[in-house]
Amino acid sequence: MKPLLRILALWRSRAGWLLAGAALSMAAVAAGVALMVQSGRAVGIAIVAGTLAAPFLLRALGALRVILRYAERLLTHAATFRALADLRVWFFRGLAKGSAGGLGFRRAGDVLSRLVNDVEALDGLYLRILIPLAGAVLLLPALGIFIGRTFPLLAAAVVVLFGIAAFVLPALAARQAKSAGSDLTRALSALRVAALDLLSGMKEVLAFGAEGRMLAQIQAREDALFAAQARVAKRSAWAAAAAFLCGQAALLAVLALAGAAPLGAIAATFLIVASFEVVAGLPRAGVLAGYAAASAERVLEAAQSPAPVADPPHPLALPRGFTLRFEAVGFRWQPDRPMVFDGLSLEIPERSRVAILGPSGAGKSTLAALALKVVAPQSGRVLLGGVDIAALSAADVRSRIGWLSQNTHLFDDTIRANLLLAAPAADEQALWAALDQAQIGAFVRTLPDGLDTWVGEKGLRFSGGQGRRLALARALLSPAPILILDEPCSGLDADTERAFLLTLNEVAKDRTVILIAHHLLGIERLDRVWRISGGRALAAAC
Amino acid sequence: MKNPEQNIAAWTRAQAKAVRKVALPAVAFGLASVAAATGQAWLMARVLARGLHADAGPLGVLLGGFGLLALLRAALGVAADNAAVSAGIAGRRRLRHQVLHRLLALGPALGRQRHSGELTAVLTDQVEAMEGLFARWVPAAMLAVMGPALVLLVAFWTDPWAGGTLLGAGLFVPVGMALSGIGAAVASRRQFVALARLQARFLDRVRGIATIVLAGRAEHEAEALAAAADELRRRTMRVLRVAFLSSSVLDLALAGALVVLALHYGAAALAGRGGVSLSTSLFALLLVPEFFAPLRAYAAAYQDRLHATGAAAALVNLPEPPQEASHAGPQPAIRTISAHGVSIAFENVHFAWDKTRGPVLNGLSFRVPAGETLILIGPSGAGKSTVIEMLLGFIRPDSGRVSLNGLDLFSIAPEARMRLMAWIGQQPMIFAGSLRENIRFARPEATDAEVAEAARAARVDAFAASLPRGLDTEVGEGGYGLSGGQAQRVAIARAFLKNAPVLLLDEPTAHLDPATEAEVLESLRRLAAGRTVILASHSAAAHAFPGRRLELHGGRALADAARGVA
Repeated sequence: MKPLLRILALWRSRAGWLLAGAALSMAAVAAGVALMVQSGRAVGIAIVAGTLAAPFLLRALGALRVILRYAERLLTHAATFRALADLRVWFFRGLAKGSAGGLGFRRAGDVLSRLVNDVEALDGLYLRILIPLAGAVLLLPALGIFIGRTFPLLAAAVVVLFGIAAFVLPALAARQAKSAGSDLTRALSALRVAALDLLSGMKEVLAFGAEGRMLAQIQAREDALFAAQARVAKRSAWAAAAAFLCGQAALLAVLALAGAAPLGAIAATFLIVASFEVVAGLPRAGVLAGYAAASAERVLEAAQSPAPVADPPHPLALPRGFTLRFEAVGFRWQPDRPMVFDGLSLEIPERSRVAILGPSGAGKSTLAALALKVVAPQSGRVLLGGVDIAALSAADVRSRIGWLSQNTHLFDDTIRANLLLAAPAADEQALWAALDQAQIGAFVRTLPDGLDTWVGEKGLRFSGGQGRRLALARALLSPAPILILDEPCSGLDADTERAFLLTLNEVAKDRTVILIAHHLLGIERLDRVWRISGGRALAAAC
Repeated sequence: MKNPEQNIAAWTRAQAKAVRKVALPAVAFGLASVAAATGQAWLMARVLARGLHADAGPLGVLLGGFGLLALLRAALGVAADNAAVSAGIAGRRRLRHQVLHRLLALGPALGRQRHSGELTAVLTDQVEAMEGLFARWVPAAMLAVMGPALVLLVAFWTDPWAGGTLLGAGLFVPVGMALSGIGAAVASRRQFVALARLQARFLDRVRGIATIVLAGRAEHEAEALAAAADELRRRTMRVLRVAFLSSSVLDLALAGALVVLALHYGAAALAGRGGVSLSTSLFALLLVPEFFAPLRAYAAAYQDRLHATGAAAALVNLPEPPQEASHAGPQPAIRTISAHGVSIAFENVHFAWDKTRGPVLNGLSFRVPAGETLILIGPSGAGKSTVIEMLLGFIRPDSGRVSLNGLDLFSIAPEARMRLMAWIGQQPMIFAGSLRENIRFARPEATDAEVAEAARAARVDAFAASLPRGLDTEVGEGGYGLSGGQAQRVAIARAFLKNAPVLLLDEPTAHLDPATEAEVLESLRRLAAGRTVILASHSAAAHAFPGRRLELHGGRALADAARGVA
């Protein structure tokens, strides 16, 4: 549960709100239980003593319960919203500082969405786990004191049973859920791999008539996932049943002793019914807590991983020139992986247009990652305008380099907002100029909302070619003098690729353009072509 | 026209309706548990009353009954939970099956519109997110009507006054919710949409975080995210102030019922009016929580429904499978074809991916006799890949005819057609699994010796020897990464193993460096021997492949285009 405590620690600044919500929730629980007890007592006293006990108290408790519940809901939700916003912003900042760049280069889109699911799993931490727990904390001593006045021994038994139902069983459920969580994660990722195999290998699957086999595999993995989930659910059902039986045992004990003090027994019965009802959901909350703990671990790890390339303590000023030079660069992503580059040297002069070619896996995108200071070379150096970029701040280096890749993300926002990401201060005219250069201006003018048209998630409202052109317009809008286009045409059909490359020939004439691709169509206008092979760059004929 | 939100709501309702039958056991167990609970309430009331009037019957029997019912309720609770899990499983299995078949019906063309990672998330995460809807919301919704109705019957039978009070409280819930909540419900639904949008925004910004960081805008986006969350909180709280009034209706009804019943029975006892015993009074009071329990469970399950609604958007927005009806005309009889010496012919074939962008194939005609090789050359976009996809049956001609040995391609049963062909594309898919399994993919019933032979023929064994576990090395997702040339050799080994009379090669060397390209072409030459081959390539090296050349231009054979043949 340590990771959950660390998440709670993040919410320190909201402690006032969160504690006030918990206190109000306790008061609401108290009013609810008191109402139930008082209604039983009222009837009992009327019969035994012949007086109607405190009808005003009964009405007041009824009203209080309704009002407190309302106030509790409002306050706990207000507190939750604040805490969740904090958590999201903290997570985003942490991710941006740490592994963000690397993730972008490693196509880890689904890893990121899984992390977002993890953050969302923490949403229920306060409302669905801590708040019910607060009620239980209040009721435990209340049960002991109230019942203890009439039945001291019975009170001890009830407190123990209540403790088991409210704390022990949920804690056990949490522990089991946490250890089963890794089984579930594994089963889910096995299913994911099978689904990904089918969806990205659709042509192979159809060409080899393997639909039936692939479907059977997906179904088998789905069944394995369901079986794992059913095991967890079964255990949590038993935990809930055990908690329920604790309450029933307490009731049975009271009923057995009812003859000794009938009035006290009526009150105790109603108290036990109401109290155990409050904590009936806790075993399930325990399961949620177990999952949340596992999520919290992953979230903390992702958000606190250090930046892969630390900035120098005293960065040099950015040079004016923007010739990009790789000198005897050696690099590998991980120590146990083969070298991507081994003595790579090449120079890309200012305002030149070059292509960098090579088969998949030769490290073309790694070249972009090195230039953008997403990773640092293990040997050799990268120079920008004659200065080693290790001596410059990453933000400065990136301000000089515009990056457009096959993965460049179009945000679920307006066209305007997507463009402004590259140049926040750009005016309307500049936006249209960039769109026109990317040859998408005419299309955007036909849209009823123009620049304020919503792009849709991942640019889905536009075709692949249009999306790539929007991304190009964004890259062109950035004032960066170097443009790195990392396989900008991958995933485009041949016509679109051709049209896009022809567009590219006409733009950014006063900047350096680095086109990374695995082959050329022969229509690109280039000053120089480099071919990456065996970890080095070879000059190729243009 | 329906707006997207209504579409999603309608879809969610339809999904819930479809699992209703599967959820029936969970509802039945739940209802039985409610019945047992009323029995327990009655026994409790008797025991407590017995303390004051020792006339209620033997204590042992009452306590024994109570204990037995407690065990029964515990068992019913477990059974209901398990049944709910089964309903959740059945619902998701059915939904995933539907989505899978839809994706398969869309075929490889889908890859043009959506990223496979995104579709994978739909098939896994989004379907999983529907669990709460199937497992909890559907049973809770049914039980929210039946459970209170059952308690109400018991209450009326015991004491019409108690029944009347509960009925009044029960009716007050929907009426009160309607009075306070009509506006609130609409507002809170809109609010939920806003919340879902904020979640989507967060996910979207996290997915594009590399773009944000490299543009130097991380801090700005973090602040924007905080501002958006803050704005949403303020708006949400304004709405919740009203929306929670409708939740308070339930609290008010429960508190009201308790207070009214307690005061009524207290007053009745004072007045000494006969007919209503202490045990009846206590029983009526104890029924109150049982009456409201299913309603509260329903309110709690609403969370699950909202969660499902959030996931539904991606499921609703899957593209529709192509309309088979657009390929007009009656389906000819399905035939099989002999697997030896297959000739291929295209006759005046037209095809367009997108009508607005003009045809890709524009009256293409050619013939490849059995056992010969045809090399399709021409610029990108000339229609080379389209020819191959058509032969694979992924797409159908808009007009014209494609035939094998004179038989219309689409009149041949798909399984028979696929048996005739082996295909190697630009970037062969390497599945998660061992190298051996990847080769065996082409023919699952092949023996180890046959797989080894295919690996040798394709020179897979040459690089497999250097891998940690040879042919049993795990490759693909999460495994050892293969280079482009190695992956292509695996594809060739698959084709050797399949040993089909027709070989379709779609830019098989496009991603390879020249040295690897030469090696792969050499393997392909051996594979091509004795088969009918169509090789599409714009690589100069591939053009040296032995065979007849056909240059495509603007969707027709260049010679035809030059002659002006339509």
